[in-house]
Amino acid sequence: MAVQSWIDILRLSKKTALIHDGKRKIHYLFTDGKEMAEEYDLKTDELIVRKWRHKSTLGAHGQWQVEIGEPPADSVTSSDADVIKENCSNPVFMRRDTKASFQWRIRNLPYPKDVFSVSVEASERCIIIKTSNKKYYKKFGVPDLDRSQLPLDGSALSFTHANNTLIVSYKKPKEILTLEQELLRELKKLKGTGEGDVDCKTQ
Amino acid sequence: MAATKVPEVRDITRIERIGAHSHIRGLGLDDALEPRQVSQGMVGQLASRRAAGIILEMIKDGHIAGRAVLIAGQPGTGKTAIAMGIAQSLGPDTPFTALAGSEIFSLEMSKTEALSQAFRKAIGVRIKEETEIIEGEVVEIQIDRPATGTGAKVGKLTLKTTEMETIYDLGNKMIDSLSKEKVQAGDVITIDKATGKISKLGRSFTRARDYDAMGAQTQFVQCPEGELQKRKEVVHTVSLHEIDVINSRTQGFLALFSGDTGEIKSEVREQINAKVCEWREEGKAEIIPGVLFIDEVHMLDMECFSFLNRALESDLSPVLIMATNRGITRIRGTNYQSPHGIPIDLLDRLLIITTSPYTEKETRQILKIRCEEEDVELSEEAHTVLTRIGMETSLRYAIQLISTAGLVCRKRKGTEVQVEDIKRVYSLFLDEARSSQYMKEYQDSFLFNETQTPSMDTS
Repeated sequence: MAVQSWIDILRLSKKTALIHDGKRKIHYLFTDGKEMAEEYDLKTDELIVRKWRHKSTLGAHGQWQVEIGEPPADSVTSSDADVIKENCSNPVFMRRDTKASFQWRIRNLPYPKDVFSVSVEASERCIIIKTSNKKYYKKFGVPDLDRSQLPLDGSALSFTHANNTLIVSYKKPKEILTLEQELLRELKKLKGTGEGDVDCKTQ
Repeated sequence: MAATKVPEVRDITRIERIGAHSHIRGLGLDDALEPRQVSQGMVGQLASRRAAGIILEMIKDGHIAGRAVLIAGQPGTGKTAIAMGIAQSLGPDTPFTALAGSEIFSLEMSKTEALSQAFRKAIGVRIKEETEIIEGEVVEIQIDRPATGTGAKVGKLTLKTTEMETIYDLGNKMIDSLSKEKVQAGDVITIDKATGKISKLGRSFTRARDYDAMGAQTQFVQCPEGELQKRKEVVHTVSLHEIDVINSRTQGFLALFSGDTGEIKSEVREQINAKVCEWREEGKAEIIPGVLFIDEVHMLDMECFSFLNRALESDLSPVLIMATNRGITRIRGTNYQSPHGIPIDLLDRLLIITTSPYTEKETRQILKIRCEEEDVELSEEAHTVLTRIGMETSLRYAIQLISTAGLVCRKRKGTEVQVEDIKRVYSLFLDEARSSQYMKEYQDSFLFNETQTPSMDTS
C-alpha cells in the first residue's frame, strides 16, 4: 500500500463529524469494521486525540486504544479492582503531536538525562527507549509511518528531559505533512453538526 | 530485599461440595474398553459401561456428528452416573453440557431456543486469540493486612525484566492467588492481564545461588527480556453459544441495560456458522464436538422431539446423550403411547443402552464408596444393615441414610456408625414405601382428601 492508499481508505470510510467543546470530533468507520476517532482543536487545528477500536476475533467490541492523547482515567474501572494494575508512580507513556513532529512524552521518570538512550530500529520498524539503570524500557512503533509505508530515519529523532518528563520527537517527513494537510482540508468540508445529538451509524 | 510474607491460605478452590455423583471419576474401563468390576467410583453395570466406553471413543475421535444415545433403566440404576462418567473421562477440554428435560420450559425463552442454545453450548471451538500478558521476575511482594484482621488487603508487586522494572498495585483476588501459588521474590511469573491468571515459569538463574531449600523439580529460567507487557497468542476453547452471545449483544450504550441475552436471532447463528467454517478451512480454528446430556428426557414434548430429529441432522451437532426411567408411556403433548415416552422415529435414530438393577454385592460396594466420599466410618454390621435397607427400599434412600447416620453418630461422640445409629435414622426418616403406607392409613385426616386424583400425571 502506498501513501495514496491510506488516504483512499480514509476517503472510503464512513465519517461522522461533530463540533463540541471547542474541538472538531470525527468518527471514522472503516469497511473492515475498525473504528477510529479523532479530535482536532478548532483554533490551532492540532490533533489532540486519536483512538482506535478493533473487533476481537470472536466479534466482541474491544476497548478504545489510544494512539494519540491522554489515556482515559480509570475512574470507571473500579469494578475490576480485584485484579492487577500499574501503580501510579510508574512512568506514563503518551503521544502528543505538534505540527512539525510526532512527539511522545513519558512522565514520572526522575532520572538524569544521560541515563536515557533513544534509538531507531529500522528493521523492526520501531523506536526503543532504554535506560542504563534498567528502570525503563519501551519499544514502540510509529503507526502513521507504518500506514503510509515510510521508512524510519534515525536522524529525524531527538529527545529532551525536563521536569521528570522525557520528550521524544520525530520530525514528520514531507509525505506525512502533505497528507495531513489534505486530510484536514477534507475534514473541514464535512458538515459538522453543532452541539447536541447526532445519528451515529454504529449504534 | 524485604522478607516476603506469604502466609498459608486455605485453598478455597479445592473445597468442593459433595453431590450425588461426585464419587464418579470416570467410566472405570481398561485400555481395551473392558469394564473393571469396581473402578473410578463405578460399580457393576458392566454391559452398559462397556457400551458407554464405545460411545466415548466415538466422541473422542470427534469425526461423527449427530449421534444420539439413550440410557434407559429403572430409577437408581446409575444412568446419570454413566453420563457423569463419560463427562469425567472426556476431560475439561471437551464441552459437556448437562440439562434436565424440564429446564427448557421457561417463560422467557421458547423451547426450541433453549434447546438450540444447549446444542450450541455443547460444541467447542478452539481458536487463537491475542491477550495481554505481563511476564517478569518478581523483585518484591509486599502485602499489608489491616491491623483489625478484616477489611481489604493492600498489596504491591514489583516485577522486572532485564531492561526495566515496574510496580503494580494488587487487588484482593490477585493477592489471594499470589499466596496460593506461593509466589516469592526470584520467581519468574506470567500474569494474564484480562483474567488475572498467574502461572509460575520457574526461578530466575540469578537466584540459583541462594541456597534455599527447594524441591528437586524447581526449574531455573532466564529473566525475561524487553518489555514487561507483551501481547501473546493463546489458544482457548469457547463454545458456539458464547460466540453467539458476544455477537448478539446490543451495541453501544444499550448494552448497559441488556443483562440477559434472551433469544438469539437465527441470522446471527447462520453468520457465526459461516464464519466458524471459514476459520476451520483457513486453519485458524478447530471444532470440538462435545456432548449434550439431557436427563429425564421424557419431560420433553412432541415439538422438542421433532426439533431434535432435525437438529441431529446438522453437521454442527454434538453427540446427544439422553436418559430416561420411563417405560411405555404417553408422549408429552400428544395422546400417543410410545416406549420411554419418545416417538418411534426418534427412537429409531438412537443407540439404546440399558441399565439393570444392582445386585446385593454391588449395592454394598456403592455404599462403601459413598461412605468414603462423605467421610463417614461404618461398622461391619451397620454396613450389612444398610445394604439390606438399600436392597429392600432403594439405593438412594440408603445413601441418604449414610450422612444422617454419620451425624447422629457424631452427636453421641462416636467414631464409627453402629447399627443403632442406622436404626435411629431409619425410624426418623421414612422411605418411599413406608411413607406411602402411612398415607394409605391416614389419608382421611389430610387436607383435600375428598378430591381423589388417581396419581400424579407427569407424562
